[in-house]
Amino acid sequence: MTIRRAVVSNRKTGFAMHLLTICLSLFLAAVTAAPLAAQEAEAAEATEAAATADTVIYDLLLKNGHVIDIQNGRNGRMDIAITGRTIHEIGENLPASRAKNVVDLTEYYVTPGLIDIHTHLDQKGAWLNLNPDHNTLRYGVTTAVDAGSSGHQGFEKFKKETIDRARVRLLAFLNIVGAGMYGDGVENDPAQMNVDAAVAMVKKYPEDIVGIKTAHYQPADWEAVDRAVKAAELSNSVLMVDFHPKEGRGYEDLILKHMKPGNIHTHFYGRLTPQLDANKKVQDYMWKARERGILFDVGHGSGSFWFRIAVPAIKQGFLPDTISTDIHKNSIMLPRAHLNNVMSKFLNIGLSLEQVIERTTVNPAKAIRRTDLGRLDKGGVADIAVLKVEQGKFAFLDSGHGKLIGDKNIRCVMTLRRGRVIWDAEGLSMPDWSTAGPYSNFR
Amino acid sequence: MSARLAVLLIGVVVTVPALGQTYDILLKGGHVIDPANEIDAVMDVAISGDKIARVAASIPGDQAKRTINAAGYIVTPGLIDLHAHVFGYGGSLWPDDTQLTTGATTVVDCGGSGWRTFDTFKETVIDRTRTRVFSFINIVGKGMVGSAAENDVDDMSPEKTAAKMAEYPDLIVGIKTAHFAHKGYTALERAVEAGRLSDNPVIIDMRITTEYDRTTQRIFEIMRPGDLRTHSYSDHQVEILNRSTRKVQPFTREARQRGILFDVGHGNGSFVFPVAADAMKDDFPPDTISTDLHNGSIFTTKSDMPNVISKFLHFGMTLPDAIEKSTVRPAKVIRKFPELGTLGEGRVADIAVFKLRKGVFGFTDAPQRRLMATKKLEAVLTIRAGRLVFDQDGLAFPEWQTAGDYEVIPIP
Repeated sequence: MTIRRAVVSNRKTGFAMHLLTICLSLFLAAVTAAPLAAQEAEAAEATEAAATADTVIYDLLLKNGHVIDIQNGRNGRMDIAITGRTIHEIGENLPASRAKNVVDLTEYYVTPGLIDIHTHLDQKGAWLNLNPDHNTLRYGVTTAVDAGSSGHQGFEKFKKETIDRARVRLLAFLNIVGAGMYGDGVENDPAQMNVDAAVAMVKKYPEDIVGIKTAHYQPADWEAVDRAVKAAELSNSVLMVDFHPKEGRGYEDLILKHMKPGNIHTHFYGRLTPQLDANKKVQDYMWKARERGILFDVGHGSGSFWFRIAVPAIKQGFLPDTISTDIHKNSIMLPRAHLNNVMSKFLNIGLSLEQVIERTTVNPAKAIRRTDLGRLDKGGVADIAVLKVEQGKFAFLDSGHGKLIGDKNIRCVMTLRRGRVIWDAEGLSMPDWSTAGPYSNFR
Repeated sequence: MSARLAVLLIGVVVTVPALGQTYDILLKGGHVIDPANEIDAVMDVAISGDKIARVAASIPGDQAKRTINAAGYIVTPGLIDLHAHVFGYGGSLWPDDTQLTTGATTVVDCGGSGWRTFDTFKETVIDRTRTRVFSFINIVGKGMVGSAAENDVDDMSPEKTAAKMAEYPDLIVGIKTAHFAHKGYTALERAVEAGRLSDNPVIIDMRITTEYDRTTQRIFEIMRPGDLRTHSYSDHQVEILNRSTRKVQPFTREARQRGILFDVGHGNGSFVFPVAADAMKDDFPPDTISTDLHNGSIFTTKSDMPNVISKFLHFGMTLPDAIEKSTVRPAKVIRKFPELGTLGEGRVADIAVFKLRKGVFGFTDAPQRRLMATKKLEAVLTIRAGRLVFDQDGLAFPEWQTAGDYEVIPIP
């Protein structure tokens, strides 16, 4: 087997090529015995042309990847040039000679940095939270939204200790429970749910907080949901609901009466949600709720994604609006639900790659009202994911540990955050060591 | 997060054991590599409770409650990562989602805590992880918390360090000294003194640049047999190689002969392809393979255990050799052999299952260069103390269509 060398060129080789061109043209000019003045003029012209072509503008050129950028209608082979933190140019055949570093992505898909709107990354907070960077950026996620790990009492600590230090763009749904996601004691206590305090916190940090979260509330009344709805309304932000139906507190009422258009119900393929009837038919109220603008989010986690629910629902056309992980200390082990895993499940169930990318870029961006994200724009921030769709035999576990065997697997090979290659699984952007010389004292 | 309900439901559906089912889990048909017992063959591994019950050529499936078909996979003792960062140091990682998912069931935190902070380390990490966590305690009382603390020779007390080690002899397996940025050898001498007082090995990370007025030879002289040099394939730590001839230095070989051990400690800055390639070419493999995995290296070099092993496979090490240097050898270093690092019958059932993929794969080193290799080891399943903790290919579970109206299918 031959080993393919890294396809990386740099401006030195480009410059050398141009020098060669200049020499050749000088030589040709000499042998044709052109007048001296003409020779000089030609040489000057050639030098000028070389200088223009060699003006290095791009820090990085992502070459020949299959770009899927739903928002801008891009779906095909294209180059993306990056300068500093931003996308300088997107188009066909951008000149490699203008780039400091060229990466050949012929085998890969290139998408906007993925967005995971249901995560638990307040790592200095409650036990189940994870490190914000390595369970996001390694899977192409450049924007993660923490879903209510902290409430108004703990948010500023979360911001100072984690959000402001993370390399991933970390946003938050603020828990309506002041203490945050710290167990039944506080999460079932309406006295913890101070609407005014939550609203004030959302308004104080509009760059970080995208909305309100309510979750895990067990008493059979509407206190938690209604207060969260009110807080979201008063702060003009998004609401995400995790809901356990009870006698006298039904799911249909939640999505048709209590929640407002634009609110998100997460965990909707979970067992606690009566989304299917006894014959596995999608309930009418699901369609009605979707029509009135309720959004349905996956939020896979340890308990909320079941093939026996998702497969029939998807066959009937009830797809998720947004694909997210609910990633935390348990779900990352078994069933190993990081975003590439969850995306791969939907791909193998039958969604197209475009549908999967739409639900991990544009749709979540709209859901959290950050329409500047999830897209690739000239002049926009260079948050980019490079994905490989592997072919073979792959297995995926759901929350009940039922297994789906599929033939496709999405694997993130490269992630750019603010123009910087922060994850490069196989060194695509790096020069080959064996040609790099004896690089002693590399620092 | 409906995890709580899921947890409650585990155990509701219990596979009723038929008569004669003596084992809880049977790993069937995998290629077992167990250097401690000189096994390198297709074998079945049976587990009862948290122990290895039997390793044999053919154990009938009906003797087990749960059979995992491991045909085509490689089965090894759970790997032991001698150099990890899971406490104290700013780039520390949670070991379960970084190590158990990559085949390491035991990690040794390399100097994150000192005698002042070990109790906190124990309460917040060691007692709460599913990964087995040991400590190389830092000779610095405050631990690896930045240069001000790490250069404070007044906080390097061999006596207090040894006293803490005597308090937790089952958890603290040695002493670390690292990042000492003053002239001379004080940190090393204190660490070795603590090692002498506690009768435990010392692991050393110490630069040799002239600014610190240190030489590799003198460092080797202070070290005792059984002590370890980590970051061996860096080019600013140990002078394994002569830089002009690119051959192994005679004094390095002498040190090995004396019993000084050479650990990988890959990390962010301490593994350079040309150094490793030349050292391997001149027959100087590491004694122990370890990662120095932290929040930086997990991005730059991706150097978890299977990644580091794959790099050595490319430079000519055999897989059984690499497994030995990741199981029985580190177990001996921390004096936990034969409890750990073996699939011996009656030993704890810490087991890793790997796939050895063939193809073309890119790997990266500290200076961010790329190596193209044709083999890649990848962790697919991990068992820790008899319990399945990671199963990427769902080997232990049925297909969802055949599971009926399944409740949570119990984790074996």
